[in-house]
Amino acid sequence: MLTVKNLNVWYGPTEVVRDVTFEVPAGRIIGLMGGNGAGKSTILKALSGLVVPRGGIIEFDGKSLVGRHPRDVVEAGMVQVPQGRFVWPGMSVRDNLELGAVTRTDKAEIRRTIDEVMTLFPTLSRKSGDRAGQLSGGEQQMVAVGRAMMSKPRLMMMDEPSAGLSPKVVEEMVAAIAALNRGGLSILLVEQNVGVAAALAEEAHILANGELSFTTTGRQLATDPQVIRSYLGR
Amino acid sequence: MLPFLLTSGLTTGALYAMVAIGLVLVYRSTGHINFSHGELFMLGGFFAYSLIMFAGLPYVVALFLAVILSFLLGVISDRLVYRPLIKAPGLTMVLATVGFSYLLKGIGRYFWGGKGEYLSIPAIVDPAPIFINDIPILPQQLIVLGAAVAFMVAFALFFSRTKAGKIMQATSENPTASYLVGIRVENVYTWTWGVGAAVAGAAAVLMTPLTLITPDIGATLLIKAFAATILGGLGSMTGAVVGGFAVGLIEQLASGYIDTSLQEIAAFLVIMVVLVFRPAGLFGVYGQRRA
Ligand SMILES: Nc1ncnc2c1ncn2[C@@H]1O[C@H](COP(=O)(O)OP(=O)(O)OP(=O)(O)O)[C@@H](O)[C@H]1O
Ligand SMILES: [Mg+2]
Repeated sequence: MLTVKNLNVWYGPTEVVRDVTFEVPAGRIIGLMGGNGAGKSTILKALSGLVVPRGGIIEFDGKSLVGRHPRDVVEAGMVQVPQGRFVWPGMSVRDNLELGAVTRTDKAEIRRTIDEVMTLFPTLSRKSGDRAGQLSGGEQQMVAVGRAMMSKPRLMMMDEPSAGLSPKVVEEMVAAIAALNRGGLSILLVEQNVGVAAALAEEAHILANGELSFTTTGRQLATDPQVIRSYLGR
Repeated sequence: MLPFLLTSGLTTGALYAMVAIGLVLVYRSTGHINFSHGELFMLGGFFAYSLIMFAGLPYVVALFLAVILSFLLGVISDRLVYRPLIKAPGLTMVLATVGFSYLLKGIGRYFWGGKGEYLSIPAIVDPAPIFINDIPILPQQLIVLGAAVAFMVAFALFFSRTKAGKIMQATSENPTASYLVGIRVENVYTWTWGVGAAVAGAAAVLMTPLTLITPDIGATLLIKAFAATILGGLGSMTGAVVGGFAVGLIEQLASGYIDTSLQEIAAFLVIMVVLVFRPAGLFGVYGQRRA
């Protein structure tokens, strides 16, 4: 479904991502792991069209997305939940969700998707009129995932969805991501939490200094987390 | 004397508030102060002047046409100044908008003066004051005040109720998140510059029947609007409105009770006092993290 080949990204004179190649097959959850500054977020930014890669291939359902406007990426069916959540703090939860659907026009369909979000995250339905900036970290993460759902994506990229959440909320988030995947959504999951990645990803690529160093399965992550931890630098 | 000072203070204050709204709108969305904002105001006034005096259009029609022309002028400043420099450092944008203000001022002087003459639009209504409880009030002032308030209410509704308004707010709160849901952020910036200029133009058209307009009026208005935004808290819409009214009132009261020369410098004093004692202003969001 998503094919990334020899992706190269530079920030000015610095090479940040080098020759990264991987695939996300339809319906799967693929992990992308690595320590701070390894280049994970940069890869997602390139896939979303926020930064233009210097070289490489990004193909989604056979269509090239290199150098396209972020809107084209969303319209193609690929959406990102960014690191740090980035909800619009001054706007209500409902407005946050509704704006997640800017690329869509059918109001009845949009309302149905809002219902889906509220079913997945019942907490949000109780807080739909609250300003997103006043929610807890976990609730904001739910808004961020819900907002991404609003574009009706076929592939969702998530940048550290468990970061900064309490263990109980992490569990809820893992359950929600698994449910989304059961519903047919393909997921590219950036994680530093080995437990979360092991619980969700069938396969994980480990990134170090902008390069893929090795690939492992979710089961290996679960049974031998030590190796991975050393790669994550802790 | 007090009631008279209050009505004229509120009237000019309403106009400052409108100019300040445009300034804050662009600032919130792009993070830049538009130093040519006063010149957008000036040209808006001259557009209306020409439409009324030369094209012979009725005032209300001229008002709407001038607002549309101001909007287009804002769009042009986005395309000419902001978009080419969108990734440039802040100081570059300061210089660019200052430079652009001189260009606009030159255009104003070329077409509408430069020999120091002052132009004014004939009053829309009977200029004789009416008396309410023995207080003399110019009907024109009431019209200006009413129209300015109507514009501000429409503006607030636009932001809170319409999808376009919400998209603009989202873009100013977090442009990256806006890109990621598929908002064409660059186009939102274009709209922002346009709407900011349109509100300034509307203020100018409302003001010209009351006072004179000159090609050099831009700098004065920019200072007043700037004082309003500093007082209200740079970046706050409510602050811009409250600050605008406050600056208008302070000016009138200071010149009426202390010394007329204070009217000219009141705005500067407000800026200085606020920056020293309360840099965040009344409703300050200054220093808040921009994503
Ligand atoms: N806008 C930028 N300009 C220059 N360098 C950048 C920029 N953004 C990121 N970098 C650098 O690129 C490298 C990769 O950053 P990136 O954000 O992709 O890392 P990451 O793997 O997501 O890390 P983390 O786990 O901390 O989120 C880092 O060395 C970072 O300092
Ligand atoms: Mg990151």
